[in-house]
Amino acid sequence: MKPAEKTGYLFLSSEIYCEEAVRLASAVFEGRGVRAVKAAGGVRVEAAGAGAALEFCNEALNQQCRLDLGRKNFKIASLIATKALLSAAGEKAAKRG
Amino acid sequence: MTQRTAAKKTGKPRVAGLPYFTFRRMADGSVLLSNDAGFSAALSKADFARFSSGRLGAGEALYGELAAKGFVREMTDFESYAAACSKKNAFLGAGPGLHILVMTLRCNHKCLYCQSGALGAAGARTDMSAATARKCVDFALKSTNPGITIEFQGGEPLLNWKTLKDTALYARRRGGELNREVRLALVSNFSLMSEEKARFLVENEVSVCTSLDGPADLHNKNRIFTGGNSHADTVKWLGYFAARAAKQVPEYKTFNPSALLTVSKYSLGREKEIVDEYVRRGLADIFVRPLAPIGYARNLWPRIGYSAEEFARFYRNTLDYILELNAAGKKIKERHAVIMLEKIVNGGDPGYLDMRCPCGAAVGQVAYNYNGDLYTCDEGRMVGWEGDDLFRIGNVLKDSYRKVMLAPASRACAAASNLEAQPQCSRCVYKPYCGVCPVYNYETQGSLWGDMPASGRCALSLGMFDALFGLLKKPASAGILKGWVQK
Repeated sequence: MKPAEKTGYLFLSSEIYCEEAVRLASAVFEGRGVRAVKAAGGVRVEAAGAGAALEFCNEALNQQCRLDLGRKNFKIASLIATKALLSAAGEKAAKRG
Repeated sequence: MTQRTAAKKTGKPRVAGLPYFTFRRMADGSVLLSNDAGFSAALSKADFARFSSGRLGAGEALYGELAAKGFVREMTDFESYAAACSKKNAFLGAGPGLHILVMTLRCNHKCLYCQSGALGAAGARTDMSAATARKCVDFALKSTNPGITIEFQGGEPLLNWKTLKDTALYARRRGGELNREVRLALVSNFSLMSEEKARFLVENEVSVCTSLDGPADLHNKNRIFTGGNSHADTVKWLGYFAARAAKQVPEYKTFNPSALLTVSKYSLGREKEIVDEYVRRGLADIFVRPLAPIGYARNLWPRIGYSAEEFARFYRNTLDYILELNAAGKKIKERHAVIMLEKIVNGGDPGYLDMRCPCGAAVGQVAYNYNGDLYTCDEGRMVGWEGDDLFRIGNVLKDSYRKVMLAPASRACAAASNLEAQPQCSRCVYKPYCGVCPVYNYETQGSLWGDMPASGRCALSLGMFDALFGLLKKPASAGILKGWVQK
C-alpha cells in the first residue's frame, strides 16, 4: 500500500489573486479535497497532495486572468453578448446617448 | 500588439504603425497573422520581423497585401474593414435558426459513444407526443430568425414515425400560413426506413442525414445493431436518396443525402479506407467530427477516446488524402474544412453553431426534449440526460419564448463562450474563425468558462486550424481548398 500523499500547502497573495478568483476556483474544485483558507495577505490553499494544490492554483490564475480580461474587454464583450441575446429574444438593445 | 512607430528623436524615418492583430508562430517557422475583420496573412519569419519593426517598405508587394487586409494602420480602409466585421458577425442579429426535436430517446442501435442505446427500442415512455411536437413547432416559429430548420432527432426518430410525419406536415402548413421559410431535416440510422417513409420525406422536402463511420467492419463495430446490419441499411438508403436527388421533379426539391463520420479510437489509421467508403457511396462530402467526452461518452473515454494529437494526425491525413483524390479529379470535400474556409476565404458565416462567438447555445439553436423540456443545445440536453439540468432553459408547454431566450443558462452560455472574455482565445490567431463550447468546458473541466490551455477541445481546434492553414500556404492544395468555397 502506498503511503498517503502529504498534504500540500500553497499561498496565494491577495496582491495578485482577488477574492472572487479564489472563490470561483473553489467552486470548480468543489468535492476534490481542496480547501482555501483566508490568511494574512492572501489565501492558504490546502490539499491532499501537492498536485491538487497546484491544479487549484492554476485554476485560480485562470479565473484571475479571466476577470482581468473581462474588465479590459468589458465593452466589446458586453456588446457581443447583449446583441446576440436581445436579437434572439426579439428586442433591441437600448442605444446609449 | 501595440502600435509601434519609430520615435522622431531617433532620427530614423517614420514607419508604418501597427493596428491590433494577433499572430501565431507556426511549426515551419512562418508567422500567421489575423485581425478582427477575419483577414489573415502568412509571413516568413524574416518578413514578420521586418513588418513588426516597421521596416517593410511601402512599395513592396507584401506591404500592399497587408495594407489591403487592414494590417497597416495608416492604410486601413475603415469602411471596408467595418463591412467585413459586419458580414462576419451578421448572425448576432439573427436569433435561433436550428430547432432540434428529439422525437424519442429510444434507439434500436447501441453505438459505442451514444447514450441512446442504453434505453433500447422497447417502451414508448420517452416518445414525444404529437401535441408536444406541435407546440415545439409553434415555439420554433416564434424565433426571430427569418428562416428556421426543424431537425428530427433521437434516439432513432423513425421509432416515433407517426408523430414525426404529423409534425412535418404541421410545420409545412404553419410555415406556409406564416410565410416563413421552414427547412425540415431528419437525422436517422435508416434501419427502420421503408419505401413509404422515404417517399413521404422526399415529397415533403425533408433532407436526410445519417451516420457512416467507414467500411462495414468499422461502422458496425462503432454502431452496434443486433437487429440487423447497420452498414448495409445505411448504404442502401443513402443510395436510394441519392438516386432520387439525381432525378429532380418539378413538384418538389429533392436533397442529396449527407453523412457524418464520428471518429472513435477504432477509426485512427484508417483514414483512406473511410474516405474511399464515402467516395464509393457517391457522397459529396465527409464531415470529420471528433468524439467529445460529454455525457455517456465521457465514461467510456479510455476505451473509445484519443488524444488531441492523435486526432490532429487523423484529420491531417484525411485532408491530405482528400486533396490527393481531388487532384486526381474525384470530387469530395471535408465539411469541417469547408466551414472554416467559408470564414477564412469568404469572410462569411457558414452557420456552424459550434464555432462562433458567442456559441449557438439558445441564441442560435434550441434542443427540444421528448417531454417539451428546452435546452441550450443537444449537448446540453445530453448532460441533462445524465441528471444535471444546468443547461435546461425552460419547457415548451410552460415558458414564453422571451423567457427561454433570456433564461439564466442562455445568458451564462453567451457570456462564457464570448471569446473576447476568454484569456487565451482573445489573443489567439484563430479567434475570428473559432468558438468555445460551455458544455464541453463544464463536462471536462468543471466550469462553463473552462481553462483553454488545458482544454482538449482547444487542442483539437488548434490542430485542425494548423493543418488547414498549413495547406493554404501550398499553391496546389490552396487552389483546391479555395475552390470548395468559390461562389
